[in-house]
Amino acid sequence: MRKRFLALTMSALMAASTITGCSGGGDKAANKDVVAPTEPFGDTIVYDPSVEVNNGEDITIELWEWGSDDLFQQIIDVYTAMHPNVTINLVNNPWEDYWTKLPLALDGENGPALFNIHNSYHENIINYLAPLDIPIEDLEADFNGVSAHVIDDKMYYIDYGMMTGSVYYNKDMWEAAGLTEEDIPKTWDELIEVAKKLTIKDGDTIIQAGLNFNDDFHQNYLLGLNYQLGENLFKEDGKTPNVNSEVMQQIMQMLVDMYHEDGIGSENFGEKSSDSFGQGQSAMVIQWGHYYNTLKTTWTNIDFGVFEIPTFTEETPYAYNRYNGESTFGINKNASAEQQAVAQDFVKYFLASDEAQVAFNIAMSTFPAKKSLATNEEILANPSMAILADHIDRYIWPGPMPATVENSLKKAGQDVFYNGVEIKTALDNAQAQIIKDMKNSSFESVESLYTYASEK
Amino acid sequence: MPKKLNSVILNVILLVMGVITVYPFIWMILSSFKQNQEIMALDQKLLPEQFTIQNYINMNERFDFMRFFFNSVIVTIVVTILVIYTSTICGFVLSKYKFRGRNLLFGFILSTMMIPWCVTIIPKYTMIQSFGWLDSYKALIIPAMFSGFGIFMMKQHISKIPDEVIEAARIDGASEFRIFHQIIFPMSKNSIASIAIFQFLWTWEDYLWPYLVINTKEKQLLAVGLKMFNGQYSTDYGALFAATAVSIVPVLIIYLFFQKQFIAGIASSAVKG
Repeated sequence: MRKRFLALTMSALMAASTITGCSGGGDKAANKDVVAPTEPFGDTIVYDPSVEVNNGEDITIELWEWGSDDLFQQIIDVYTAMHPNVTINLVNNPWEDYWTKLPLALDGENGPALFNIHNSYHENIINYLAPLDIPIEDLEADFNGVSAHVIDDKMYYIDYGMMTGSVYYNKDMWEAAGLTEEDIPKTWDELIEVAKKLTIKDGDTIIQAGLNFNDDFHQNYLLGLNYQLGENLFKEDGKTPNVNSEVMQQIMQMLVDMYHEDGIGSENFGEKSSDSFGQGQSAMVIQWGHYYNTLKTTWTNIDFGVFEIPTFTEETPYAYNRYNGESTFGINKNASAEQQAVAQDFVKYFLASDEAQVAFNIAMSTFPAKKSLATNEEILANPSMAILADHIDRYIWPGPMPATVENSLKKAGQDVFYNGVEIKTALDNAQAQIIKDMKNSSFESVESLYTYASEK
Repeated sequence: MPKKLNSVILNVILLVMGVITVYPFIWMILSSFKQNQEIMALDQKLLPEQFTIQNYINMNERFDFMRFFFNSVIVTIVVTILVIYTSTICGFVLSKYKFRGRNLLFGFILSTMMIPWCVTIIPKYTMIQSFGWLDSYKALIIPAMFSGFGIFMMKQHISKIPDEVIEAARIDGASEFRIFHQIIFPMSKNSIASIAIFQFLWTWEDYLWPYLVINTKEKQLLAVGLKMFNGQYSTDYGALFAATAVSIVPVLIIYLFFQKQFIAGIASSAVKG
């Protein structure tokens, strides 16, 4: 019996290895057909491929990242085609624990010379970063949002792409409700009216929600709509949160009214708005750019459209919404001088290359921070980016906020919707919690550096 | 009649509990043949509506599954064998030799089981870094060679072996080395099976430590590979389930082969008579 079981198991394993193939698809060899650029390229930041790296001597560095190997390998292949003496070993990591491993590795001598950064972990890694060699004026000439990243007249990383929230709508439901492209709302009042038409009820029971913001009202509404009403998330000192203001109460009241007065959704219908939209339960959701890729890969049966977030009036607001950046690579200050020099050169290539910038922004569904790419055809072919093109300068980044800001507002929303807490009390509690949690934080808001900060 | 009724009720309860325990596992296996949108669908069905093996093909596109699989097999087998040997020899010494500080030493070993791993992981990483063992299997195998739990189990079990057996061997001229290998070891096979299963399982599913110390893709283990399916914004559940389904095969084999000894070993170590 055991022998038979063993034989069966071995057969199953062999079948599995046959299905999966014995050599990994993940280990794709570097593309040797890449054509190396020979002429200098770039705007203000110009990369000259004819300049030797490491005096032409062989050198190996590591690049740590999370996400898509193919995307990173693509730019590595171009770079190493220009500099065959450089070998860049790509090390892929799981997103979550990358932030445990990276600081440990950077603390020693053998950490990666180059590594991917997310600004939400800014405080954990900033002390391990070497400043970029590229002059700040050159960066500012080519990229948006640069000044917000300057620390003591030095630049450690910038954003290559800007991600924000937009409205995703189900085209089939839109059509079934008799709506057309002409009905795409510009204001919140218009959105509520459209959502009413999209809502389907059986008596008092919702069958289809016009709008769903469950589980992410903090991320997509409370931490963004304040700007439309001319108010920053942090007070003048850049450190004190401003989440219990009258404006914030007004936004929370609008959300409550959407569900309880207008009946366009419910806190008990569709636990998570992003899933609910994918499951065909909800007609509209506000999601950040990454959702475009999720819909394309996971919810492939949903025919969707996307439009810019509505505003309170038809006038141009102080800012449409908050954005967050996808960051350029970090350079390890503890790496050897030779490795750091290669890493600096690689970052320069990444910033100068339009192909690299377009590829990364399309992959992440972010709007390019590089000014010259604002009208790029490939970028504008993606609807989630195209809708931002006209007002991209009217999106604001508050800085790498500590997680407590989001978490405390999430709790405030849950208290209001599920625990019957008064709006003012819930927001006062959030304000107190954020102040307490940020007591030892070095965070300072960069809202004052926003282009239109003086309009407030 | 009441006895029979009790037996039926008990069996029904056990059956229900068994189904509850096994259901998620079955669901995962069947879901590995579904598309992601079906896995995430509101209307959940146990059987796939559109059967696909694409997830099994996709999982190898993400990483070199079979290489990771065999890396894990090798590391797990080596660690398990070493732990069995060191646990048995330590258990033998602690239960059959009388020396000053024996209880203190045993207490110290037990205390290692009570320190949470999150407290020791950073100093352990720093040590491995200064030894120059990062990105090497030495970092996975050497710190795992001794197991407080294994030593505890084996001491409990070996202390039940009558001293007379050992004395008789000594009178017959057997060396201590021979006594250990030819008498104690064979007489401890039930407890060894228990430790083997536990250790195999723990090493097989250990994720954070291998992730922290191994960098090179070709050396990475399967548990780390499985984590790669969890992206920053979304998870490829289909490929994750497919990879998990294949990854549990060795654990199942080990358990099915050693289950009798495992149960006997647990029982004998738990009850010291």
